[in-house]
Amino acid sequence: MCLKHSKGASESVPPFTSLFLDRPSNNPTVASVNTVLGSVRSNELGVTLLSESLMNVLPGAEYAYDIRIDRADVFDALEAKLLEFKAAGGGTIVDATGMFHGRDLRLYEALSRATGVHIVATTGQGPEAMLGGYFLTPQTNPPTPWPAQKFAELFGREVNDGMVVPRLERRAPAGMICTAVTEEGMTPTDASLVRGAARAGAAYGVPVFIRCGSDAIAEMQLARDESLDLQRIVMAGMDRRDAVENGWPMQVVNAGAHVCIDHIGSTSSNYLDDSERVALVKELIDAGYVDRITLSSSATGVSFGEPGNDLPYSNVLTHFVPMLLDAGVSEENVAMMLTTNAAHLLSVSGEVK
Amino acid sequence: MTRVNTVLGTISAAELGFVAIHEHIGYGMPGCELDSRWWKTPEERYEETVPKLRKFHENTQKWGAATFVEATGICNGRDIDYYKSLSAKTGVHIVASTGFVGGDTALPFFERASVEYLTDQFVHEITVGIGDSGAKAGIIKVGVSRGFKMKELDLRIYRAAARASKITGAPIFTHLAVDCEPALNIFAEEGLPCHRVLFGHADDGVSQGKINEKALLDAGGRIGFDTFGYDLELPDPPFWGRARAERLKHFLRFINSGLVDQVLASADANCSPLGWPGVKGHTVNYLFEQLIPDLREEGIDDSLIDQLFVHNTADFLTLQPISD
Repeated sequence: MCLKHSKGASESVPPFTSLFLDRPSNNPTVASVNTVLGSVRSNELGVTLLSESLMNVLPGAEYAYDIRIDRADVFDALEAKLLEFKAAGGGTIVDATGMFHGRDLRLYEALSRATGVHIVATTGQGPEAMLGGYFLTPQTNPPTPWPAQKFAELFGREVNDGMVVPRLERRAPAGMICTAVTEEGMTPTDASLVRGAARAGAAYGVPVFIRCGSDAIAEMQLARDESLDLQRIVMAGMDRRDAVENGWPMQVVNAGAHVCIDHIGSTSSNYLDDSERVALVKELIDAGYVDRITLSSSATGVSFGEPGNDLPYSNVLTHFVPMLLDAGVSEENVAMMLTTNAAHLLSVSGEVK
Repeated sequence: MTRVNTVLGTISAAELGFVAIHEHIGYGMPGCELDSRWWKTPEERYEETVPKLRKFHENTQKWGAATFVEATGICNGRDIDYYKSLSAKTGVHIVASTGFVGGDTALPFFERASVEYLTDQFVHEITVGIGDSGAKAGIIKVGVSRGFKMKELDLRIYRAAARASKITGAPIFTHLAVDCEPALNIFAEEGLPCHRVLFGHADDGVSQGKINEKALLDAGGRIGFDTFGYDLELPDPPFWGRARAERLKHFLRFINSGLVDQVLASADANCSPLGWPGVKGHTVNYLFEQLIPDLREEGIDDSLIDQLFVHNTADFLTLQPISD
């Protein structure tokens, strides 16, 4: 969100400065969000979960001899989960797994039409271990991994020209750019991914979502170095135990970026449990940063090739919100975290009118 | 009784005719499908591919049939239904591969897989079929990742391939013949005789000086002169290109030393590359337009050419399970 704007001052749209990327193809006059069914006014999103997964496929699993992906079954399973989310008061799901982890645009379009839930699909990839060889060992001598600029072009085109159905066509523009840094430490290609994502985000006005590695602050700074406004950066994995132990959530919001508390309902020992998560959210709110917090569960709607987590999308609303209210978080602040903040973030160019 | 798996069904090896043992309908690194700069319409794909296969079919008339061994592994743009349509419409037998071009073309799902799982994957694709295409793979692809050094994942794939080869009888061909000692150790440990393995790209420009030919030959391995046509004389040769005369001389050295049984030749050309520009002017038909005339000029007679492209290949491709 734009601080100046929130104080009522008008802010001019920054000039397009990239010498390397195509010019943005549209300049929306109203705050709009890129969903799989096209542009939607940001005030129509409702309760929005910023980091979820619909079709989750570990790259390569689609070729496994013992995995059969039955599209009709997948549709039914996701439809039921989306309707449950809607019944609990949900409005928008962001499929935050990028362009190479099972993203299926035509399926998402049909699901959004059938359920009335807005679906935002994302571009981006990462961390390095999730990339195909095309990006890591290209057919050049030596096989130099892709630099930031090429990732910026790849991701940027998915925002500017539409997301790809591989080797077939482009469909709706991407609503967010997601990348991730290797948890053991940022590799050179992770750095190129973060910088490329940031460059594309700065050029085309969509937020950049970074699942943190071993140093969230340095990773955030790397994105900022690419002229990306901190208010357009979401640092995720902020409810990881090591993230909290290192004090990253408070440092991120203090710097001006957003945090996504994105493992609500997780029972993994790598993450806080929900009561600790409530305490973290309260601490950030008490420090005055309620407008920089988003909440999500990283639920895997259907998963192939790696275990899913069977969390319903509705869990944030039915389970976690009551915990927040019980802990004394106001309804207004809950609405801010679940609706307003995501709407600001997902608005192309960050303007909400 | 001999059996070879093609994409349109299992046939007798006697039906194969002239075999190009290492070719591609289209190859691309995993992930290239996301980059629209390489996309082509199906019309363009067929237009680039069909005439080359038809020409290949015509060129093989005196041998009675044409067989195109498609060396594209899992995750590299392998497209069985497309191959089936091409085979049906051109009359060229197409043998598809299971396996991987190298560890660096195996996506995370397979990178995390055990030797046992990879073995099951390969065996399934050879004995049951690839995906839901109904077509069975006829050969197993393995390879060395970039850098000329076997990586742990490469070795895991080699071991699974050795086991799958013994179970199914399908042969193995390798991408690159460099750093062969770990490979030979694996085949020995698994009890796979090396005449079931074609060590490929032994003739390419960048591998020279890095291949232990003696070790491969002593083990009984087959040596692949299978990048014929990637000549430095081309207007824009790839980095693995090599001077035509030098490659030919290398090949003749093997043939003239009585090693005809241990060599196989092919062009490794792409009909329509998937994630790279390809090499203009290079097709499988180089074998007829350049290589065979060159060989004849060097005094190689028809029976030896038949041995290279018909008998050796039929023997190699014939499914021959090996019991412990």
